[in-house]
Amino acid sequence: MGDYINIGRSVRKIDALSLATGADKFTDDYEIHDPLYIAILYSPVAHAEIKQIDVSAAEKVRGVVDVLYYGNVQRVLHTTAGQGYPEPSPYDALLFDRRVRFVGDRVALAAAETREAAIEAVKKIEVKYRDLEPLFDMEKAMDESAPRIHVDDEYTKIPAEYRPEQNLAAEIKIGFGDLERGFNEADFIEEQSYRMHYASHCAIEPHTSCAYFDDRGRLVIVTATQVPFHVRRIVSTVLDIPVMMIRVIKPRIGGGFGGKQEVILEPLVALVAWRNKRPAKVVMSRKEVFISSRTRHPMRVRLKTGVKRDGRISAIEMDCLMNTGAYGTHALTVLANAGGKVLPLFNKIENLKFHGRSVYTNLPVGGAYRGYGATQGYFAFNQHMDIIARRTDQDITDFFKRWHIREGETSAVFKALGEGKEGVSQVINSCKLDECIDRGAGAIGWHGKRGKRIESGRNRVKGMGMAIAMQGSGIPGIDMAAASMKMNDDGSFNLYVGATDIGTGSDTILAQIAAEVLKIPVEMIIVLSSDTDLTPFDTGAYASSTTYISGGAVEKCAEDIKNQLLDTASVMLKAEKDSLKLDAGKVIDKKTGKKVPYDKIAYHTLYIQDQFQIQAQASCTASESPPPFIAQFAEVDVDRSTGKAEVVKFVSAVDCGQPVNPVLAEGQVEGAVVNGLSYALCEDYIFNSKGRMVNPRFWDYKIYTAADIPEIITIVVNSFEKSGPFGVKSVGEIGINGPAPAVANAIFDAVGVRMYETPMTPEKVWKRMKEEGVN
Amino acid sequence: MVRTYRPQSFQEALEIKKGAPVITIAGGTDLMVKRRRSTGLSPYFEVPAMFIAHLGEIKGVRFDGGNIRIGAACSFAVLLQNEATPPILKTAVSRIASPAVRNMGTIGGNICNASPAGDTLPVLYARDASVVLKSIDQERILKISEFITAPGETVLREDELLKEIVIPEKPFDVNFYRKVGTGMTNTISKITFTGIAEILNGMVKDIRITFGAVAPTVVRSRVNEERLIGHSGKEIEKMIPEISSLYSALINPIDDQRSNAFYRRSVSLRLLGHFLRALPGC
Repeated sequence: MGDYINIGRSVRKIDALSLATGADKFTDDYEIHDPLYIAILYSPVAHAEIKQIDVSAAEKVRGVVDVLYYGNVQRVLHTTAGQGYPEPSPYDALLFDRRVRFVGDRVALAAAETREAAIEAVKKIEVKYRDLEPLFDMEKAMDESAPRIHVDDEYTKIPAEYRPEQNLAAEIKIGFGDLERGFNEADFIEEQSYRMHYASHCAIEPHTSCAYFDDRGRLVIVTATQVPFHVRRIVSTVLDIPVMMIRVIKPRIGGGFGGKQEVILEPLVALVAWRNKRPAKVVMSRKEVFISSRTRHPMRVRLKTGVKRDGRISAIEMDCLMNTGAYGTHALTVLANAGGKVLPLFNKIENLKFHGRSVYTNLPVGGAYRGYGATQGYFAFNQHMDIIARRTDQDITDFFKRWHIREGETSAVFKALGEGKEGVSQVINSCKLDECIDRGAGAIGWHGKRGKRIESGRNRVKGMGMAIAMQGSGIPGIDMAAASMKMNDDGSFNLYVGATDIGTGSDTILAQIAAEVLKIPVEMIIVLSSDTDLTPFDTGAYASSTTYISGGAVEKCAEDIKNQLLDTASVMLKAEKDSLKLDAGKVIDKKTGKKVPYDKIAYHTLYIQDQFQIQAQASCTASESPPPFIAQFAEVDVDRSTGKAEVVKFVSAVDCGQPVNPVLAEGQVEGAVVNGLSYALCEDYIFNSKGRMVNPRFWDYKIYTAADIPEIITIVVNSFEKSGPFGVKSVGEIGINGPAPAVANAIFDAVGVRMYETPMTPEKVWKRMKEEGVN
Repeated sequence: MVRTYRPQSFQEALEIKKGAPVITIAGGTDLMVKRRRSTGLSPYFEVPAMFIAHLGEIKGVRFDGGNIRIGAACSFAVLLQNEATPPILKTAVSRIASPAVRNMGTIGGNICNASPAGDTLPVLYARDASVVLKSIDQERILKISEFITAPGETVLREDELLKEIVIPEKPFDVNFYRKVGTGMTNTISKITFTGIAEILNGMVKDIRITFGAVAPTVVRSRVNEERLIGHSGKEIEKMIPEISSLYSALINPIDDQRSNAFYRRSVSLRLLGHFLRALPGC
């Protein structure tokens, strides 16, 4: 690790002040001249055919300009998943369809001069539905008698198992070794099923999009997105508008977490603008976000392991059933990650089978959500390993340290399970998981408190639980990022990146990487990101890819700039290039001590001799996806009189390679911990018998507030990942994998009941305690 | 546009009330939420609105000849700061919503809203609070249990305003309040339990028990309470199963998006048990 001036330093987020003062703009802050406002009509029924739709009353509402539904909109099958092209998600969605598949499916929209008129108009659209039998139980989705949800010409762009006639949106089977022999060799078999539930991303900024025209009639879409380049491509395809006629601008974003990896509103706002040659705007309400945007896929994970008396696992079978809801967005890849990001962690298991199925139901649509299947897989894995460690009389920390993957090792699962296609073989270059486990255990006082059932008050008892996890850093062979830079007269640089800062701070850390290569303060880098006209391409902010892959593009680009600086300086200083180095905004001749500052170099190239501009561009892909590792510990206080599990302290120790900006890295982990605890303990989609979510509001869908948050300690354990720029790995998602299983394990430690499903509400803990007779 | 009134005195507010239908807004923390519309649209009021939260006459808390009198427009934040506020009421108020809502929301609003989950109500029932209702023509004083008749329903007349809440001053030796909700803040109660008792020479001299959010209105039974009066903690401990079944017959919780009836019932009774066991001498 070098002597860095920017890397590993917690420089201030470059947009901190402008955000704090309200100067920086979010999508809804853009002042669009005289827009049409869009309101959307959603299906009130879970499964039906539209028998008749009458928009005449809606069209007569004063101020209404356009009413759209399946009858007057092009029928282009697509997926809303903003993934690499061709997307691994099935093409099963239309802008508007004759059939509705969940409560919240889009039926029509109205565009009007005012919001009031648009809302009034959609209320006046008369729809007659012919109800179809709904399918709510994913376990029954593949039954022969189950109603079929997709009956038209849905298809996949990639070779993948896709059988809509069986409601099967994706299926994956991999394995190696001899499972049966492995089970036969075992001293005991442990088999359990674990369930994780629906959740909303709860980004505080709801989905928001607007569209207008530039002076030459090109369509400009300003939108709250994680994937501006996928937005441009998908809008172009769905609306048959050439890519070159569309510009997508991503302003500041109020949180994504995967929810804005979906292209939901952009085609609508673009369609209204394009048809009417008027600007248009749409802002989702919280209710709309809950019922009609995307969610975390619910999953049932069955784990069966053969275990030797010493805790060695002789065989493991993982069977996942995932509910993708009415459409198959991310149905294959989230499923793949439930195995692919989990099973390699125990790479010494010789006999392994993974079987996953994603099925359609008439419930809300799953999508990308921080953790992306790994969260669901780890909820099962970490509880399962806690059971095994207890049965073999070992402390789970020792058990994990004994079996987890290490530096220099590999797992056959890496190659077998990719994201939409075969994965890539990789050897672990960096893994400080042992240190994470030890330091995390120390920080929470693991050894003094675990298993002690310390009474913490009348009817309150403490328990300790922990979990480990890995994630990836980008998608190898699929993700691509590009960056370009140019030098200005004063020695400053413009950095243009396709990468999408969604509040994560990626603009800042990419500037830090460029500034480190050029040995200048971050303030000398002017960042412009995510504008499809002005910045180079990037697949987007997802899959924990930005620091590793977009960072790689920035590093390469800055290295090119550095080379040009040295070339020019060697002419100006009449020195050998080899004897020159960059230092604090100057090029110095190590031999003579002569130096030339960057502004002089810029001046020289722009005005004086052999004029040219110092500028460069670079692209980066990844041939591997180095996993970050984490150990997370929960101290939980269970109130025996109410069943409430209250987390009092939560410790994470994370190996994310070399942190570029430790405060931002910690912030990602802390945010993921709060996100994960809230999901584990209180967030819940509650459906009535008709498949309608009855709590689509923050009143009743509870997310953690400041008062609920326990003491959180985050330890960043430095390592060096040689494949990443300056040794980096990812950190954005991994922290959400541990909270649920760590809390579940802690509840077991406290009161001896195993929580097989989330959310672990007081009602459920109470019920489990009754069932187990411990209350 | 919403037509609004901002009276300069409580008297003027009563005159406005007499004249035409208006919605009375104190803190607005329930009214504004109930009338909210889609993103970007302002709340909708079907009739003119009258603001009363600024009226000094109905904002204070004071001792007055054996009673504590609380102005209807007294905010939760003020209640928390005032020395005259009974401690158990402070405990309940401290768990209402969040600091921002406590700064705006008022005790009068909480009462007139008459939610089964209104968090000041179980304490006011336990403390035998009365409400003073004023119109231009008359003043009525009712027990809070007579004032609230059903979820969201009170006997407040069109021309009346709730002026103040009167709580008899009386020291209780045991003050037990529990709110069970999903989060620590901004949480609508799944259950609240209030138990207060006066102890004399190791015997229960007076005891009050109320349950919130487990029936259409607050559950309290003087008959059940009287069974406990005159007994020692030790005796009461033996009575817990019997007392629990008496209350189990009175509470009638529901399944909803916040919890379920089984949980509400069993945890309510468990909290009752905890309270009774917490009496001195147990």
